[in-house]
Amino acid sequence: MNGFAVCQRLKQVSGDVLQVSDGSLYPALHKLEHEGWITAEWKTSEYGRRAKYYSLTRLGRQQLEKEADNWGRLSSAISRVIKLKEA
Amino acid sequence: MRPEHWLYTIPLRLRSLFRRVQADKELDDELRDHLERKTEEYVAQGMTRGEAHRCARLDLGGVDQTEEKCRDARRVNWIQDLVQDLRYGLRMLRKSPGFTAVAVVTLALGIGANTAIYSLMDALLMRRLPVADPASLVLLKWHISGKEDTDGTVVQRGSGYFDDDPKVGKTAPIFPFPAFEALRRSSNALSVLFAYHAAGRLTVLVGQQAEITSGEYVSGDCFRGLGTVPEAGRLITRDDDRAGAPAVVVLSHGFAETRFGDVANAVGQNVLIDNVSFTTIGVTPSGFFGVDPSKSPDLYLPFHADLLLDPERQPGSIDRYQDDHYYWTEMMGRLRPGVTIAQAQAGLAPIFDTWVAGTATTDEERKHLPQFLLQNGAGGLDRLRRSYSQPLYILLAMVGLILAIACANIANLLLARSEARRREMAVRLSIGAGQWRLIRQLMTESILRALLGGAAGILVALWGIRFLTNLLFAGSEPLPLRPELNFGVLAATLLLTVVTGVLFGFAPALQAARVDPMPVLKESSTGGPRFGARLRFGLGRMLVVSQLAICLLLLVGANLFVRTLANLHSLDMGFERQKLLVFKVNARQAGHRDPEILSFYGDLKRNLAAIPGVVNVAMANSPLIGAGAWGWPVVPLGQQRPENAPTGHGSGFSRSATRVLGVAPGFFSTMRIPLLAGREFDERGSGTLPVAIVNEAWAKVNLDGRNPVGQSVISFGFHAKPVLAEIVGLARNARYDDLTGDFPAIVYMPLEQNMDLPADEMTFFLRTAGNPLGYASAVREIVHRADPRIPVAALSTQTAQIEHEVIPETLFARLCTAFAMLSLAIACVGLYGTTSYAVARRTIEIGIRMALGARRETVVWMVLRDVLMLAIIGLAIGLPVALGASKVIESLLFGVKPGDPWSMVSALTTLLSAALAAAYVPAWKASKTDPIVALRYE
Repeated sequence: MNGFAVCQRLKQVSGDVLQVSDGSLYPALHKLEHEGWITAEWKTSEYGRRAKYYSLTRLGRQQLEKEADNWGRLSSAISRVIKLKEA
Repeated sequence: MRPEHWLYTIPLRLRSLFRRVQADKELDDELRDHLERKTEEYVAQGMTRGEAHRCARLDLGGVDQTEEKCRDARRVNWIQDLVQDLRYGLRMLRKSPGFTAVAVVTLALGIGANTAIYSLMDALLMRRLPVADPASLVLLKWHISGKEDTDGTVVQRGSGYFDDDPKVGKTAPIFPFPAFEALRRSSNALSVLFAYHAAGRLTVLVGQQAEITSGEYVSGDCFRGLGTVPEAGRLITRDDDRAGAPAVVVLSHGFAETRFGDVANAVGQNVLIDNVSFTTIGVTPSGFFGVDPSKSPDLYLPFHADLLLDPERQPGSIDRYQDDHYYWTEMMGRLRPGVTIAQAQAGLAPIFDTWVAGTATTDEERKHLPQFLLQNGAGGLDRLRRSYSQPLYILLAMVGLILAIACANIANLLLARSEARRREMAVRLSIGAGQWRLIRQLMTESILRALLGGAAGILVALWGIRFLTNLLFAGSEPLPLRPELNFGVLAATLLLTVVTGVLFGFAPALQAARVDPMPVLKESSTGGPRFGARLRFGLGRMLVVSQLAICLLLLVGANLFVRTLANLHSLDMGFERQKLLVFKVNARQAGHRDPEILSFYGDLKRNLAAIPGVVNVAMANSPLIGAGAWGWPVVPLGQQRPENAPTGHGSGFSRSATRVLGVAPGFFSTMRIPLLAGREFDERGSGTLPVAIVNEAWAKVNLDGRNPVGQSVISFGFHAKPVLAEIVGLARNARYDDLTGDFPAIVYMPLEQNMDLPADEMTFFLRTAGNPLGYASAVREIVHRADPRIPVAALSTQTAQIEHEVIPETLFARLCTAFAMLSLAIACVGLYGTTSYAVARRTIEIGIRMALGARRETVVWMVLRDVLMLAIIGLAIGLPVALGASKVIESLLFGVKPGDPWSMVSALTTLLSAALAAAYVPAWKASKTDPIVALRYE
């Protein structure tokens, strides 16, 4: 997936709730790449255009699972706290 | 981190570093691609193309900024920054070649001097013996505390060295042979205990080539104890080391190689040592030199082989294996694994204590028994360390101070330059460079400068090491441990270099980066007046003051050493030292025996006297300077033999103890020692009553200054029977053994009298008409013609021999003077720079003053007054420090007190005049300021 597509997908999947600014997306992608969590290659796209395509590495997947777990714990904890307040 | 991680990241890092242009291009492509897609999307939503493009760019938040942020993710910035800093630093160094050259040369001198001295220390003080596991070797010694000398103790006779240890008193590494046996028998703490003692100079005949070389007697366990593996053949074992064993010898690697071509050829060969045939059984590995780093013997003989080598040469040598009071055996041991030195000391001391208590016969002896002492033996014998450690530490301190002055100097110049670079710094700060980034850049520049200096310093050190080695060991045999630039020394140099760079760079960098950009940028580029510059200049002034203080310290040292040297060179020898050729000949080692040997020497003397240009020839059984002395009691008839008077050959006998010199007729006229009464020895056959000539010191001690001529004396030599002799002359005081101190008491006796001492090695003194060394080849030829088996040894002039004795002092005086001059020069350059800069800053002030009618002299004085203030503060700090520090070098001084007022005054004057001279030039330039030009800037 290239950077632009990542941007689109983020918007799509989150139902336009999450909008990552283009200005922070690319530095973030580069950071992930330099951590070794994603890897990039240059491919010719469907429109005959050269673009940089990113994909998750095995390490990245592991990291994602870890972060997802963390996020799950954190978010459920937060929602529990919020519900507690309502009750 | 995991290897998989590196799999992804390393290529990325390398790419970011080395294919940076491509990486940047790809980043650019990626973002451009993004912009195009975004624009298309906006166009699809109904915007115009221009509007869409603008929105896309806005979303991205600036292409350049985003690119920079992406680059930050690369994690190699520090390297890139470093490369950038280095490039920039190199450019700055190139931009001011003059300053760079001054800094690099100053640093090269400072770092080079430090490296050279350190490598010398490394070789002489720190290196361990090149044997297996040197750390477990221990050195055996004893000490007697609370007594000046060994008079009245069980240590009655001896051969070897005594040291004065400030901690424990008189110490020595020599023991009676029976003590060695007692310790070896009953020691559990040591796995091996072995003994050795110097065999001294031996005459060796390999084929037809006679030469003098040095040997060492080693006990049967010595090589086993040191863990030495032979290069060829086998080494000496216990079976070789007993009375009556076959005569065998082990050769050093170098000796075997040069004499037999190949070490393997040497094994089995016969070698004639002092006219006794020895069989070579093996060769030591190359680099092996025994246990004393100050010498490298060529021959290793079994301990008991001294019985074969001319037993009558050393009086009483047969008995010394049984003698409880003859101290001569040196010992080393190897600790058993797991045993500490303290434990071994606890185990060995009682054995020695019991043994030595059994040898005491009087209460005095029992009161001052030698105490056993075990020392770390990893470095081998510490003789070398003892004599060189203090001078070397002092030299190290000196070069350290010079480096400090050099650092202060460069820091000062940098401070001045940082003022000049304020605009540059201000511009860089205002366009977003961080302060820390600026400091880092300036520090990179400093360390780069230091590294250049360090690299040049290594060249200086290479030269310095050669120079120092030549200077220190001129004339003596080469040391087995050569000073060199080994890994440890180079590591120390690198560390020193970096520390230096940080030292002189940090303060200026800090100051430069602390610039407040706004006011600086508002100033005109021509550099208008700024107030508060004085305050900023405080650091520079402090540096100048400390430089001057250090300089004073070195100058005081130099003055003291120069005076020491002058005193040593004007010492009264009591004899005429000029135009005197001295050499030694040993006919006994070539097989000559009594009584033929004396006539052989007599013939040789006559032949030497016949050389054209030789005025006359003297012959004695010892050189006069630097080779020890013979001594035994000689007292007026009717007096008892004095208790505990030293007997034998040694160095440093007390002044009142009698030293005895055996001389041939003509000695006094050749040496030009005036006879105050009586006559010189003449050629008389044996059988007449023995005669003696005494000197003033002896007469004063023994006869209360009465005229000794005609008196009878009794000489208590080595043999039981005292000899009666008549005093026929009174000689003026002259030196024998040491150079300094009061003249010793000497009794001269004719060699033919036999004096209880068989004629052995003979020293010849040739009084020549021309340059003494011009007669060397004639001398060699005559000796060779007399007996080709006899080599001429230690041939030199008397002046050179005396100078050899004061080599450390001479070296010290020269180095110290050179160092002091160097530091003075560096400090003056610094002072000149600082003053020039201060004057430049005050141009307008000076202009105003002159416009208002100040005279030139007033301006000059105004500038000089400032420098004088600095100098006086520096001297006020330096003087007490110098006074204190000069006490440290007291033991190296001769004839000068540490606080010598003349040295102080001379150092103060030198420094003050140098400082004023350095400051005068800028002051004079300041007085030339044209008020109009100066004021036009306002």
